[in-house]
Amino acid sequence: MFEYDFMQRAFIAGFIIATLASISGSFVVLKRYSMMTETLAHSALVGVAVGLFAGLSPLWMAVIMSIFSAWLIEYLRSTFHLYSDAILAIFLSGGLALAIIIVSLGGAFNNSLFSYLFGSILAVSDDDLVSMAIFGSISLVLLLGFSKELFFIAYDEEVAITSGIKVKMLNYLLVTIVAVIIALSIRVVGTLLIGALMVIPSIAALQYRQGFLKTVLISLTFALSSVAIGMTLSYYYSLPSGATIVMSVILFFVISLVVNKR
Amino acid sequence: MPIKFEVPIFDVSSLGFRVNSQNILESLSFKIFSGEYDAIIGPNGGGKTTLIRLLLGLEKPTNGNIKIFGKRIEEFTNWDKIGYVPQRASHVDISFPATVLDVVKMGRTAKRGFFARYTKEDAACVEDAMRKMDVFDIKEKMIGTLSGGQRQRVMIARALASKPEVLILDEPNTGVDVKSQQRFYELLRALNRDEKITIIFITHDIGVIADDIKRLFTVNRKLLTCNNPKEAISCEDMSKLYGVEAHLLYHHHHHH
Repeated sequence: MFEYDFMQRAFIAGFIIATLASISGSFVVLKRYSMMTETLAHSALVGVAVGLFAGLSPLWMAVIMSIFSAWLIEYLRSTFHLYSDAILAIFLSGGLALAIIIVSLGGAFNNSLFSYLFGSILAVSDDDLVSMAIFGSISLVLLLGFSKELFFIAYDEEVAITSGIKVKMLNYLLVTIVAVIIALSIRVVGTLLIGALMVIPSIAALQYRQGFLKTVLISLTFALSSVAIGMTLSYYYSLPSGATIVMSVILFFVISLVVNKR
Repeated sequence: MPIKFEVPIFDVSSLGFRVNSQNILESLSFKIFSGEYDAIIGPNGGGKTTLIRLLLGLEKPTNGNIKIFGKRIEEFTNWDKIGYVPQRASHVDISFPATVLDVVKMGRTAKRGFFARYTKEDAACVEDAMRKMDVFDIKEKMIGTLSGGQRQRVMIARALASKPEVLILDEPNTGVDVKSQQRFYELLRALNRDEKITIIFITHDIGVIADDIKRLFTVNRKLLTCNNPKEAISCEDMSKLYGVEAHLLYHHHHHH
């Protein structure tokens, strides 16, 4: 299958996404931000819809929309003591509703929307790869650079504040990185399924009860393997890649549960 | 000993805290100096935890001022001088992927910036803190597998790793058995005596520690400071401050 350029691009994109999603996902899961990923993915969909409607780059619009939502959610969460899961629910359905309205007004582009919802190995262009490589590297550098601080915040936010760590700034940074990763991911994995690739490898890795570094490495292994398996299945059975990737990652989760049963 | 001028660690004047027009704390004024070993007691909902959250900058006062080491709290930046051990320490998420060493190292995180690795000095401070709290032998264990008493000592080791001058503990003994509690107070006392660390803690166990604490702060919306804690147990004012809760305290006292 690697004789096709599109498959090479899809695999490179998939591995970039798997790396970013599993590393950022470890912090997201430990911070109990899992639902945030679903919500930002739906906000990113609004960006895609706007992009398609207005003839702008759907990927860039997705990045902008999901960063905007991430900041707005973080602001609402810290400013108005609302229930954070309720805020997420509002943004999730609101994002989807808005995207559907824009899509319906546009009329004709339902087919291309399908690939944004569930991912497609055919969809990755050279330009997409360049954007992914640039934004992916920046995100990775920031995540690794602040991993000590983010780990501390995930463990105990208030003690982190009292020890002098800039918790508020780092929380914004984390949601921004997550927003960018989600927006980059939707080509390959799709809006409706990216949340799974961020959250499930980490939860599977947690079952092994290891220290943080090992847990992240296990999670990374699961994510990379799932992308490889999922894309191969997608190629041979003409299935949406997001769906096959997510089913693979769930398989790893189930195996991890069974293996570590006590 | 000659009287010398000393900047208090905490200098609190007419401190007030209000939530939804309800007064949680009213006109508290006190100073805490280096080397003190003080307990804060009071009924549930009386504002004990709020008071230490204000001292740590986690809440903003509605009225009054807090100075830390002579600086207004808004301008204070040397937070590594103040170690905090929260109440929740005893029931941390059991599946959190951290070893004892991982957790104690957090005490050094704020001292290192973006991308900086832990230095030899960090490693030495971390080991020293673990040895003092007697958790060095279990440093590779997962935090979720520890007993309440062990976990509590790990949390204090983390606070000690930043080499603090003050340690603030919120009900450090919640969920810890009696035997570990006694050992725990001995450790705290040793830190105060040998390391000259100022210690301030919230507790219910006034009977256990009344003998050796320097001062007792009784908080129930207002503050009563008793400079001689041995007398505090029979202090009439305290009973007034407690109101209906007074008998609970006495019961607790006999229990120990």
